Amino acid sequence: MSADTEFRVHHDSDAAVGRRERLGVRLLIVADGSFLFGMIFSYFYLRNLNNNGGWLPKGVHHYSISSAWQVAIPFVIAAISHRLGQENKQTRNLTSIVTFVVLLVGGYLQWKQMAHMPFLLTDDGGVVSFNGAYASNWVLMAGSGLFHYFLGSFIALGILIRNRTTDLPHELDLWRQRVVQSWFTWCAIAAVLTALTLSVI
Amino acid sequence: MSTLDKAPASARPVPNPKRSLITRLHMGTGVVVGVIFALAAYYGLHSLYTTYTDKVADPLSSHDNNIVLLGAMLSWSVGFMVGIGAFIGPWRWLIGKDLTDEEILYLAGDGQGTKRYFKYCTDHKVVGIQYLVGVMTMLGVGGTMAMMIRTNLARPGAHFVTPVVYNSLVGLHGITMIIAMIIVATGPFGNYIMPIMIGAYDMAFPRLNALSWWVLFTAIPVLCSAWFLGGIPTGWTAYAPLSTQAGPGMNSFIATIIIFAVSTAVAGMNITTTVVAMRTKGMKWNRVPIFVIGATISVALAIPAFPTFMLAMVQTGLDRTFNTGFFDANMGGSGWLYANLFWIMGHPEVYVILIPGVAALMEIAPVFVRKPLFSYNAAILGFAGIAGLSVLVWAHHMYLAGWAPSLNGPFMVTTEMISIPTGLLFLVLIGTIWRGKPWLKLPMLSVFAFIWDFLIGGITGIYLSDVPADNYLHGSMFVTAHFHFTLMGAALTGAIGGLAYWYPKMTGRMLNERAGYISFWLVQIGFNVLFFGMFMAGAEGQPRRVIDYAAFYKNSNLVSTIGAYSVGIGMIVLLWAVIHSWNKGKVAPMNPWGAKTLEWTVPYPVPLTNFDELPIITSDPYGYGKGK
Amino acid sequence: MANHDDHAVEALPPTPGERATGFIKRNDVARTIGLFVAYTAIFIILGKYFYPKWMPTIMSKEMKSAETIMIWFTYISAPIAGIVLSVATNSFLNAHRGDTPPPDGPAIRTNGPIVVLWTVGSLLFTIVAIVWGLLEVNSQAVAAANDAKSAITVEVTGSQWLWTFNYPAQGIETHDLNLPVGVPVIFDVKSADVNHSFWPVQLGIKVDANAQVTTVIHTTPTMVGAIEVKCAELCGLYHAYMETNGAVMSKTDFNAWVTAQGGHTA
Ligand code: HEM
Ligand SMILES: [Cu+2]
Ligand SMILES: [Cu+2]
Repeated sequence: MSADTEFRVHHDSDAAVGRRERLGVRLLIVADGSFLFGMIFSYFYLRNLNNNGGWLPKGVHHYSISSAWQVAIPFVIAAISHRLGQENKQTRNLTSIVTFVVLLVGGYLQWKQMAHMPFLLTDDGGVVSFNGAYASNWVLMAGSGLFHYFLGSFIALGILIRNRTTDLPHELDLWRQRVVQSWFTWCAIAAVLTALTLSVI
Repeated sequence: MSTLDKAPASARPVPNPKRSLITRLHMGTGVVVGVIFALAAYYGLHSLYTTYTDKVADPLSSHDNNIVLLGAMLSWSVGFMVGIGAFIGPWRWLIGKDLTDEEILYLAGDGQGTKRYFKYCTDHKVVGIQYLVGVMTMLGVGGTMAMMIRTNLARPGAHFVTPVVYNSLVGLHGITMIIAMIIVATGPFGNYIMPIMIGAYDMAFPRLNALSWWVLFTAIPVLCSAWFLGGIPTGWTAYAPLSTQAGPGMNSFIATIIIFAVSTAVAGMNITTTVVAMRTKGMKWNRVPIFVIGATISVALAIPAFPTFMLAMVQTGLDRTFNTGFFDANMGGSGWLYANLFWIMGHPEVYVILIPGVAALMEIAPVFVRKPLFSYNAAILGFAGIAGLSVLVWAHHMYLAGWAPSLNGPFMVTTEMISIPTGLLFLVLIGTIWRGKPWLKLPMLSVFAFIWDFLIGGITGIYLSDVPADNYLHGSMFVTAHFHFTLMGAALTGAIGGLAYWYPKMTGRMLNERAGYISFWLVQIGFNVLFFGMFMAGAEGQPRRVIDYAAFYKNSNLVSTIGAYSVGIGMIVLLWAVIHSWNKGKVAPMNPWGAKTLEWTVPYPVPLTNFDELPIITSDPYGYGKGK
Repeated sequence: MANHDDHAVEALPPTPGERATGFIKRNDVARTIGLFVAYTAIFIILGKYFYPKWMPTIMSKEMKSAETIMIWFTYISAPIAGIVLSVATNSFLNAHRGDTPPPDGPAIRTNGPIVVLWTVGSLLFTIVAIVWGLLEVNSQAVAAANDAKSAITVEVTGSQWLWTFNYPAQGIETHDLNLPVGVPVIFDVKSADVNHSFWPVQLGIKVDANAQVTTVIHTTPTMVGAIEVKCAELCGLYHAYMETNGAVMSKTDFNAWVTAQGGHTA
């Protein structure tokens, strides 16, 4: 083809674009869900196996059930707050701030827990290791929770800024909010499932 | 996300993204930034985590060293994506300045000639070619390793390589081939051809399309680095605890899989969405070309499957770096956990590989016998049935692991049931060629080769799925021969058929026929000799993944090696034909095979937006034949 | 289907019987049938001779059943392979060469009865394979349970890259596996490090050796002779060399061997 520009950007209808994006996000949720399923499987598998009594070796501390929920609740709140601001740009001025801040707080709490894990072992050489299979599973789930918070904060920040700077057509705007809603709802569900899992020690 | 379409020249915006960052980034800047990231991670982590390395006997395989290496590898991948401009879109979204039309056009590679192959180009045809070159490179590397393995096994005594090198050869051959085969059809043809086949201007998410390729690209140097870090001792299955005990090369394997899983999730989601949401007017589900159906089922199956492999690798990585105990029996872990997670991915994965190859041949057969596809519904049922059952059979790889002997029965039932949808695939193919006069061009030859190879692969698979027979066969060369008949004899043959078929559309030239025939026979005959020999070795009781064997097995191994060289030569001939014809081949007409799918209605080079105006579909593309 | 080109169109509507014979007499059909018979025969012969020729001596029931399955599954696959390959070959022999596409063939879009027949056929095939396998698995499990009392126990430990056999009742530990003929034996298998897979080849059984867990398999050697023990799970550097020899011997020989090793016989 000659170097001549004779093409222009083709804009499909807002609803078509919106639906397409929602499907895409749902498929990514399937992938993420499979990862979560794997983690939950690992947790219960090793718990039931309790190889050599190594699930929670004697004397090892574990996190309390309430601390598991402490890092799940913020995502639920964020998802609800995003939902409240979904339809209306005015309301969203407020809710987007709430969503963002709550996610930051959730991420901070998660981080704090990871920084103070009670089940670490340090040997003479100074090598740190995790004591027991519960500890291993816990850190993996916490890490993946942190990842969700990180990604969620990024998206929430985008919504916050974009709500003030961009002016999308209403229909498209609505679809974009719904797409984000799909993801946030999923993350909230994932957080709750994780907390439920970690409640069975 | 927007796609492109053709507009009268007068309406075009004056392109002037000249001074923006987008125009300055390419593969080179990606490499530079990637290396900077990798070095930063390397030295940064090194200063944080070297406190103890001098205290352990072998600093190279210490946990700290693993942290440093894994960190550097993953940072390389992220850095490369930063440097090539993958994050410009998300960043602009964040600050609320969406990409302008002009920039979108620029990203699509409009008017950039061959340079766009080295850029973050969103044109699905560019991505298709990138995948094609990538796949051929990987097959070449994996094939070379196969030749080295077979050379070593030509005679007893392990004269050729050392055990370290041998184990690495087997493992890296395996994983390279597996990665290459997962993308061998859905990468090049799924990207280049499929959007045209369904009458779309582009993929649903063009930027993610570019992302999927370039992310995959970053995995290549990472995998290669395994060689310089002492190789991998585990084979491609990377069973724990062998993998936790392994040296630094294992980090390359882990990082590769993590990166690759990201790439396939994105690519799978993109292709699935495109097919579901972007078919042109009139292309109802029963009018979609069968290749599109097969490719979509395959990538859709990959979406839930691969994350568990990624998870298993993350856990292996954590065990190796931060001393967790997922797979360490002393810490309450279990190698069976790894095996489960691995095979929950692993069995669907073999069908992710197989289905697009078969689907390509189902697309080819009607064109070359000039008959409709026999029982379109049976084909779909076959694919869907296989995909559905494939997630329920994983533990047939663990019959003899001791994990859950009482589940052997149920898993045997689900596994054998796969014969039924698989049988449908055969029925569709033989029904299509029945009473036809096949036009024996290269693509059609692949159909015949497939039928034979997959039949052998299938029958031997039935033995293996029966526990009492697997008692003897498991872990032997018999298994290796069986899965090559399916992966190589079926899936790769299908992909090569697809290449011969779509080559004219992708390159504008005909593939050199004579070289094609020579290669075909060398490969197919060699292949059958090669793996017939391996069946013998397996039946005689030679385990797989062994560097050496008793003199008792020397005949069967020699037969194998002779066959392997024939395959090797045949593949070189094919490679030569592909490269040569790309420049010097006969110029291809628009529709050299007289096919009825949409990709043959567009000229070469395919315009940036594929169609001036989207076509409207009124029937399926198999309206061949007289009578009725 | 009866109005194929190279077949004369009859004036009178044919009876079903005539149609059937007409169908069979058609050139391509006759050729396909011939090919079908040939291919089926080839597969049956392959099944009959390939495995017996290449597989090692059968020294246990388990080994026998592995071989029988491979032979018989080849037999029952043979007609299916015959159909597929005869149709393919028939069509291959009809090939069209040249640079223009061949003329269009008949527009057969599907054929309900054939699809149903084929599906039912593969269903039957599958059921046979499944039932066979389940019965066999079950009979092995039953045998293991029945033999438990009379069996001798061998504790097998895999370690990189060595097999160690411990006979607790006899109080000996060796690196070659000797067994008395006709006496059931139970192997308790574990690993000292990574995974291995314990494979006494001629006995046709196999199980992984895992760290910290014991896996159990059972067999009864049925004949006297040499056996090889191999490792069937990649276990690192010298996996290929992790093999040892052994023998199934008469009871007296076995007892003599145990005594020579310093153990005690029952
Ligand atoms: C040139 C043709 C090929 C030759 C000569 C060849 C040969 C071999 C050999 C000798 C082995 C090692 C067998 C063993 O000791 O267990 C092997 C393993 C393997 N090959 Fe190939 N192969 C070829 C093509 C392919 C292709 C196209 C695939 C596609 C997926 C493939 C996938 C594998 C896998 C997954 C393994 C297992 C690696 C492992 O045990 O970890 N090979 N191949
Ligand atoms: Cu499988
Ligand atoms: Cu081994």
